[in-house]
Parts: sequence; structure tokens; C-alpha cells
Amino acid sequence: MMAAVRRLQSYVWRYRRRYLAGGACLFITATLAMSIPYLLKRAINAIELGQSSHEVTFFAAAIVGIALVQAVARAFSRTLIFNVGRDIEYDLRNDLFAHLQRLPQSFYRAQQTGDLMSRLVNDVTAVRMLLGPAILNLVNTPLYYVYAVSIMVRLDPVLTAIALLPYPLVLIVVKHYSRQMMEQTLRVQEQLAEMSSVVQENLSGIHVVQSYVAEAAATAKFAAINRRFQASSVRLARVRGRMLPVMKVAASLGTLVVLWYGGLHVISGRLTLGDLVAFIGYLGLLAWPTMALGWMLSILQRGRAALQRLEHVFGAVPDICDAPDATPLAAVQGRIEFRQVDFAYHTPGNGHQVLDGITFTLEPGQQLALVGRTGSGKSTIAQLLPRLADVSDGQILLDGRDIRTLPLQQLRRSIGFVPQDPFLFSDAIRANIGFPLDPVDDQRVHEAATVAGIADEIAAFRHGYDQIIGERGITLSGGQRQRLTLARALAADPRILVLDDALSSVDTRTERRILEALRDTQRGRTSIVIAHRISTIQHADLIAVVDDGRIVELGDHETLLAHDGLYAEMVRQQSLEEELAEL
Amino acid sequence: MSTVATPPAAPQGDVHQEDALGKAYDARLMRRLFQYIHPYRGLFVLSLACLPLTSLFTLAQPYILKLAIDRYIANKDAAGLSTMGLLYAASVVGDFAFFYLQYYLTMLVAQKSLADLRMHLFTHVQTLPAAFFDRNPVGRVLTRLTTDVDVINEMFSAGAMTILMDVVTLLGIVLIMMTINARLALVTLSLLPLMVLAINFFRLRARESYRLIRERIARLNAYLQEAISGMAVIQLFAREDKTFRLFDQLNDSHREANHWSNIYEAMLFSMIEAVSAISIALIVWYGGGQIVAGVFAFGTLVAFIEYVQKFFVPIRDFSTKYAVMQSAMTAAERVFQLLDTPATITSAANARVPEHAPGRIEFEHVCFAYKNEDWVLRDVSFVIAPGEKIAIVGATGAGKTSIIKLLNRTYDVTRGRVLVDGVDVREWDLAALRRRIGVVLQDVFMFSGSITENLTLGHPEITAATVERAATIVNAHRFIERMAGGYHAPLRERGNNISTGQRQLLAFARALAHDPAILVLDEAPASVDTETELLIQDALEKLMEGRTAVVIAHRLSTIEHSDRILVMHHGQLRESGSHAELVAQRGLYFRLYQLQYNRPAAAAPAELRAGAAK
Repeated sequence: MMAAVRRLQSYVWRYRRRYLAGGACLFITATLAMSIPYLLKRAINAIELGQSSHEVTFFAAAIVGIALVQAVARAFSRTLIFNVGRDIEYDLRNDLFAHLQRLPQSFYRAQQTGDLMSRLVNDVTAVRMLLGPAILNLVNTPLYYVYAVSIMVRLDPVLTAIALLPYPLVLIVVKHYSRQMMEQTLRVQEQLAEMSSVVQENLSGIHVVQSYVAEAAATAKFAAINRRFQASSVRLARVRGRMLPVMKVAASLGTLVVLWYGGLHVISGRLTLGDLVAFIGYLGLLAWPTMALGWMLSILQRGRAALQRLEHVFGAVPDICDAPDATPLAAVQGRIEFRQVDFAYHTPGNGHQVLDGITFTLEPGQQLALVGRTGSGKSTIAQLLPRLADVSDGQILLDGRDIRTLPLQQLRRSIGFVPQDPFLFSDAIRANIGFPLDPVDDQRVHEAATVAGIADEIAAFRHGYDQIIGERGITLSGGQRQRLTLARALAADPRILVLDDALSSVDTRTERRILEALRDTQRGRTSIVIAHRISTIQHADLIAVVDDGRIVELGDHETLLAHDGLYAEMVRQQSLEEELAEL
Repeated sequence: MSTVATPPAAPQGDVHQEDALGKAYDARLMRRLFQYIHPYRGLFVLSLACLPLTSLFTLAQPYILKLAIDRYIANKDAAGLSTMGLLYAASVVGDFAFFYLQYYLTMLVAQKSLADLRMHLFTHVQTLPAAFFDRNPVGRVLTRLTTDVDVINEMFSAGAMTILMDVVTLLGIVLIMMTINARLALVTLSLLPLMVLAINFFRLRARESYRLIRERIARLNAYLQEAISGMAVIQLFAREDKTFRLFDQLNDSHREANHWSNIYEAMLFSMIEAVSAISIALIVWYGGGQIVAGVFAFGTLVAFIEYVQKFFVPIRDFSTKYAVMQSAMTAAERVFQLLDTPATITSAANARVPEHAPGRIEFEHVCFAYKNEDWVLRDVSFVIAPGEKIAIVGATGAGKTSIIKLLNRTYDVTRGRVLVDGVDVREWDLAALRRRIGVVLQDVFMFSGSITENLTLGHPEITAATVERAATIVNAHRFIERMAGGYHAPLRERGNNISTGQRQLLAFARALAHDPAILVLDEAPASVDTETELLIQDALEKLMEGRTAVVIAHRLSTIEHSDRILVMHHGQLRESGSHAELVAQRGLYFRLYQLQYNRPAAAAPAELRAGAAK
């Protein structure tokens, strides 16, 4: 919590001048607000005394004048303070985003996107409410109280005390209710999350539900959580229904006391009617800030919780970053060496060994193919090269240098990586292929698309390279997505190319054509290819069979076939489908 | 030309249409929403009845004030004043009670109707065909059921009902003021037309900036979500700088829209406050003169001041409520759109359940395309006799999976007919058809829940004994028993806490527990782990016993054990027959077979272990 508060303070400090200016405007607004009941009182007293309408007109005109000036001050105060709130929200979002970009993939594996989004959207909003409206009211409410109460005390101290009697009581009630509200809100949110996961799971497995005619059971499961959610929503509504009018009641009770007790004073002649009206007026001025106070209590509570949740993100350590003494290579040649590389996921409790003693050397321009069954560790080998994760033990060297001593940017920009999951942004095709380029170079985008065997299809799209893809544009087939991600990796003409099972949805013939095109345009590019179709990697300089985190066979196609081990067995198994496709 | 840092805005029309705001009131949508309120109309009418009562009690207060001042304080009647005090207290209590009642009843009705709406949505989604889920990502459908319904809820808690109350209150105030003193009322409200104009001026701008904010926050969030999902890509290409620049742009444009909105709202708010104060000045100025002239007394003045203050409260909140209504209408539109999505695969009106159903399958000139003319199956015809074991072989994309998806109506044929036990599957009672066909897919799906729950899938007629027997037969009993909790052991989402092989065995057990006449199976590729592989092969054989079985085969053992082999190629059935027949035919299958089996048998597996790498 302390770290969160300190972080918040630094943001607030940055905008102290505008906060102060806003505060000054609030001060002016409040001062002018206080003068209105006073003028009202003077006017009424004047009326009471039956004085000329001239004087009444003067007071009325004064109220108009003050109202106009006050409007300006009020507009400024709100604009200033609320805008600072928005500015801090902006800073906070940017800082969070920049921080997220530095966090390693292990962070994202442990975190659900939905949860992160809720932190970045809802929690940032909650903090903004804290810094805008809450701060405004934090200044405003005491200001109004100090002013109004001191004036009221001078009019009639006893009446003041009695009139304000309900307020502390109300504060206690509000505090009680707001705690209840917090609890109920939390419960409702939890149940909403639970309901979401029930629905999400049901939809993901809808094919099973439908083919086993299990709709009734699925519906019953949903109905149960739906009922629970409804019940707690109603409970929340009950608390809220009581909380909302409480402040209004408090203000009314104050008026009641003033009317009754003050009325008696007027009857007994101890108070003028003008004073009574002014009193009611001051009390009326307090009504709004008091209501705002109740509202603020819940903002404060939410803001506190939100700050803590944000700190969870800010507190995550970006442990994959440049070493302090990192120096770049003059030019990357592309010699890759794995030396006894071990890798384990260090989840608390059980370290799961993924790679064990991986060792190989690739000369510049050579191609390595990694084969093996799912889960054998092939992808992990590929991911260690651009430091998506760091080795647990051993070393990976690029041109003879441990990759951890290179600037991360140089390392990563010399690698064109085509991940297993063909992730594309909901953006134009040009922007997607040109993603590694800044600025995007159309010439290179086109070249990359040609090599990846997707250029003709892009040309056929209605908007060509400007075609938006994704949920809001056109839907691409798996094969098209894979070829686009390949084009993206090629756009920057990297020294090293990594294909992580990148062409699995492309048919064999196209895959072979692409691989040929790649070889033609390779120009001494080192490459690591993970493929599930063995026929396509037969020409690799080096084939490594990975099983259970270890390289069990290493050599070229002929050697490994002659060896008649796991590789030869895989070749035989896979031929069935491939040969059929060839016919 | 180079495109420098274009924010992910689309050149093609408004890509963020889904987030655009429409009308704040749409009669058609409202009528549909009211269908859900209808079952609770008694409560709803009651909550509506509370509205004028709440207003009445709120508005009585200034009037009591007026009476107290004019009749009792002015006449120095302490007893009368006390009565007024009690009356005032009563009105405060009434105000509270009826507000609470009204709010509670409204929310009760809202929650009940929205729970019904969610239920309706959920059951409807259960009936939607696979083709729908191909087009609509899970996240989008989920949003309809949760977020959108919640936004409609906002309409009840902070929008429509309170706007209604506000209107009642405003009318009440005008009415009372006119009754007390029409001329003073007219003078007091003389600024109203001017204010309405001014408010409208700012409100339109505020609304416009609010629309901008919605649009920009939607873009910002969409971008953020994508950046988080694609963070690996951003980091792989070390393009954090470029991505941050775009994010900053979106963030900044969102901030700017908010700045303007703050300015408009501050101006609007301040102006309403000023007009409220000026109205009070008018009351004093005109009313003061009248009092002096003896037309009316002080109490009227005080009451008017109170009424004016109450008058401006709802006006102040109006723009917020308007926005809530707009969002609710947009959400309702989307929700109903989902409800209107037709369930294209349903039981026919005259659906049948054949009495004698031994498990015969017939494909008659079946053509199938997922969309347009991209034929996945072309004129496929075959007959499978009851109890026959069929292996389908063919390359990826040959149409194997489509065959099994047509069988249980995951999709419907485009042309031709699929018959099960002599009846077109489209004439079958859908539930009966699917109960007769057990499906095991390659990618086994497990739900979070106990193993038993995953095997029965909630069918109450499947007993614990059946589950255990099924698990035992398919060799799953042993590992289940070893798990903490046995059959009650919880599986995590998607069955992440058990191995692929174990998931496979559980899927077999699931199919067996449901005891289908026809078994349809998309075999997973052979496991490298020999022990598991043997268990699976053994389980598969037992599972097929006594049933018609259609298996997309990946294992040679499965193919060898089948009665007949269907060879699919480019969407067509090219060959069909027993192993011996197909070999004799010397066609596609034969060439395959030669490739597979006529190689010289493997010598003793060489141990070229990691040593080669070291």
C-alpha cells in the first residue's frame, strides 16, 4: 500500500500548480456561495421592515452579480481539477503500458488477459475518480462546512448545534452502509466473474455439450449461478436503496429542526424571520457537499482497492532486460551456439524441467530443423533464442557472445520469429507485415509477401494491402494467417529466421514452395525450423530430434535415416498422410 | 509511400460501429424489454406507483415550510408550529420509505427480468449451430450475456426510472408553484426558456464529446487488449517503441476528448447553479415587492426558494442519465440481435425417433461446403451396416472430419442426404439422434468439475456404477483411482491437470458411459509413450465392440482392425473396401500400403541418443 501511495503522490505532485489553482477557484466559489444566503437574509429583513423595494432590488441585483461571477469560478475549478484527473489517468495508462511492454512472457502466462484489462480499464478509472471528483469534494466539503457553520454559529449557536445534530449520526450510518455496499459489490463482482467463466467454458466446449445432448445439465448449471447472481444483486440494491436517500434525509432533518426550534425562537422574538430563512439557506448549502461526502467514501474505498491492484502490475519485475554492461555487436553474422542449455519453469512449489543439456552449433547460413512430438521442448528451444525466457543453466551464444550480454533490441531485431500462434493485429495488412519496420516500407512489405507466398491473395482483397483484418475486418484462413506472420518476420530482412511450426495450416505443396522461395532469398540467413511435416525439412543442414527436453538424435536426413531411430520411425508414420496428399 | 504511425483507425468506414451510440429511446427495443418485465408486472406497477408518492413527499416539504411560517410563526402559534414540525417529519420519513420501496421494487423487477433474459440468451445460445461459433468468437458472445445485460441493468438503476421520477417531480414543482402564486411562479420560471436553450447548447456539445469519448475509449481498450494478447510479437520484434507511440496517440486523443467534455460539463453545471441563484434573486426581487404590497406572506417566498433549488437538481443530472439510456439501448440492440440469430439446426416439426435403430449409416450423394462453393465433400455416397467398423483415411483437408460432423448434425449437408437407420438425420429428433451417436474428437474437451461430472455430463440416468464400469473397460480406472478424490477428483479448466493420454482415455470412458449405438471417433495421432499407446489401442478396441464405428484413423493398427476402409481424397470417396480388397485393387490405398509396409523392417533401434549432440 505504501508503494502505491508514494506512486500516487508523485503523480499528484507533478500537477500541484493546477491543483492549487483549482483549489483557489473552489475557495472563491465557496466564498461567493456563502454570501448568497447573507444577501437573502438582508433582503428579507429589508422586506420585513417594509423598506422600499429599492433596497430589495439592490440585494437581488447583488445576488445576480455574485451568481455570475461564481459561475465562472465554479466552471474553472471543476475544469482544472477534473482535467488534472484526466491528465494523471493518461500518465498512469502510459506508464502502465510501458511497464507491461517490459514484462517477460512468464508474467503473461500467469495472468489472464481479462484480468489485466480490468486492471488497466476499471482500476485506472477508479484512481482517476479519486484524483478528480474525490479531491474536489475533499477540498469543497470541509470548506463549505467551515464557512457555513461559522456563519450559522454567529447567527445562533444553539440552533446551529441542534441543526447539525443529525449529521454525525448520518456519517456513521453512511460509513456502515458503505462497508456493506463494498462487501455486496465485491460479492456481485465475484459472482459475475464466476458466471462469466461458466459461460466461457460452456461456449468453448459447446460441441461436446451439443453432441452429448447435455444442454439441460449445462443450462441447470448456468441457472444456479444466474440465480445466485440475481439474489446478491437484489441484496446490493437493498443496501443502495437505503444509502442513497440517507443524506437527503439528513438535510431534511436539519431543516426540520431549524423550522421547529428556530420557529419557536422567531415566535419568542429571539430570531428574525430573515435569520431563519438565511439559516435554512445555509443548511441547504450543506446538503450537497454532505451528500457528496457519502459518495466520496465509496470512491475512496474503491480507489484504494484499485491502487493496490495496479501496484500488483507495477510491482512485477521486468527481469529480462539489458544487462548494465551490454554492448552491441558491430554486425550480426548469425552463428548460433547452444551450450548445455537447461530450462525449467520456476513455478512456486514445482520446478518443471523442460530442457536438459541442449547443445548444438549452427554456422551462419545453416539451417537447423527441430522435430519431435508435441510438448517435447522444441518451441522452448526456439523461444530462448530471442530471450522470451532466459536459460536456467548453460549459455546461448550469438556470434560467440552470450546473448544476455547483447542489447535486447539488437538481439531481437536480428531475429525474424514466426511463432506457432499466428497472431496478427486488427489492422491493415500493410501495418501487420510492416510491423518490424519503422517507418513501414512498402517495397519491403511487398517483397516479404511475395516470398511468403501470400502476395497474390493480398492483391485479390478488396482493399489490397490496406485491407483490415481481424474481428472488424476480413477473416483469414489459418494458412493465410501463417503466411502473413511469415511475411512479417521477413519484412525486416533478419539475419536469423525462426519458424516455430509456422506452416502447419498450409498445404504441403505450398509449404514446399515457400521453403524453396525462402532458400532462394536466404542470402546466408541462419534459420531454425520447427516443422511437423518431416518431408519439408529433409534438406536442412542439421536435424535435431527432441524428446522429453533432450536432443536424442542429431545429424542430417541421410544420417538419421540410416540410423533408423526415432527420426526414421517418424518419417515412416508421417508418410501415410503426405503421400496421399501428393497423389 | 510509408505509413508512419497511423493509429489503428480503419480507412474502411467506421470500424467501431459496434461502440457507436444511438438513440436514448427506441420504442421497438423497449417493447421487447417489457416482455421480460411482463411476468413481474404486479411488482412493476407497484414500483411505478411509488414514483408520484415519493415526489409528493419530497414536494410537500417546502409547502409545509410555507404553512409553518405564514400561519403559525407569523401568528406566533407554537402548538401549530409543532404540528407542522411533525408533519414535516412525517414527510421526511415518507420520502425515505417510498424512495427505498420504489428503488428496491424496481431493482427486484430489473434483476428478475434480466435473469430471465440471461437465461433466455443462454438457452438460445445452446441451440446455435457450430457455424455460428465459427463466425463469433467466444468472447463476443460472452459480452452479450454479461456486460451488455449489465448495461441494461444500469438503465433501471440509474436511467429510465429516475428520469421518469424527475419528470414527475418537475411537473409537480411547476404545478405547486402555479397553485401558490401563478404570477410569482411565472416570474421565477421566466428564465427557464433561456436556460433550456443554453442547456441544450452545452448538452449537445457534451453529448458529442461523450460520443467521442466512448469511441476513443473503445479504440484504446481494443488496442490495449490486442497489445496484451500480442505482447510476445511486440517483444519478438523489439517494437515496443512503435507500439507505445500508437498507444500514446490513442490515450492522448481519449484524454483530449475528456478535457472537452469536462469543460462543457463544468460550464453546464455552473450555469445551472447560476440560473438557480438568479431565480432566487428574481423571487426576492418580485416577491419582496409583493410582500411589501401585502399580496402574499414570507412563507411563500421561502417555499419558492426551496422549490427552485429542488427544481434544478434533476436538470443537473439529466445528461448523465441520457448517456446511460443511450448505452442501454445499444446493448439491448446487440442482445436482441443474438436472440434473433436463428438456430438453423433443430428438430423438424414432425421429427421421428425410429423404433428399430441398430446403427445403420447411409450417405446419399452428399455435397458439403462450409461456405459458398468451397466444396469440402463432393458427391459422397456409402452405406455402413450395423455393427460395421469403418476406418476413414485420407490427407488433411480430404473431408474426413466433415463426414463425422454431418453425421450428428454439427453441420447440415448442402446437398444430398445422410440417413441413420433409414431416416434422414434432418427428420430425426435431434436429441435422440445425438444420443445415439457417441463422438470423440481429437482435441478432447474436459470441463472444470469432477471426473464423474465430466463423464456423465450431467445426465442423471448414468449411475456411478456405469461410470466406473466404463472407466474400467477403457483402462482409465487405474489412474482415476490414483488421483486424490478418485472419481470426485476435480479437473481444472480444459483438463489441464491430467496428461493428454489420460484425457484421451477419459473421452473414451465418456463415450462408453453414454452407450451409443454408433461411435464416431477422430483418432488422435499415436503417442510416443508406448505404455499409454498400448492402453489407448486396447481401450479403442473395447469401445468399438458391439457398435457401428466410424473412425478417422491415424494408427495402422486401427486401420488393420477395421472391417472396411474408406479412402477420402479431395472431398471425394475414392476407394472403399476391406484391406485385402483395396490392396488387390492396386489404387490409392495400395500405393499407401506399399509406402508404409513394404519398407525393410527396422533393425534393432539404434541408440543414437543425446551423445550425438554432445
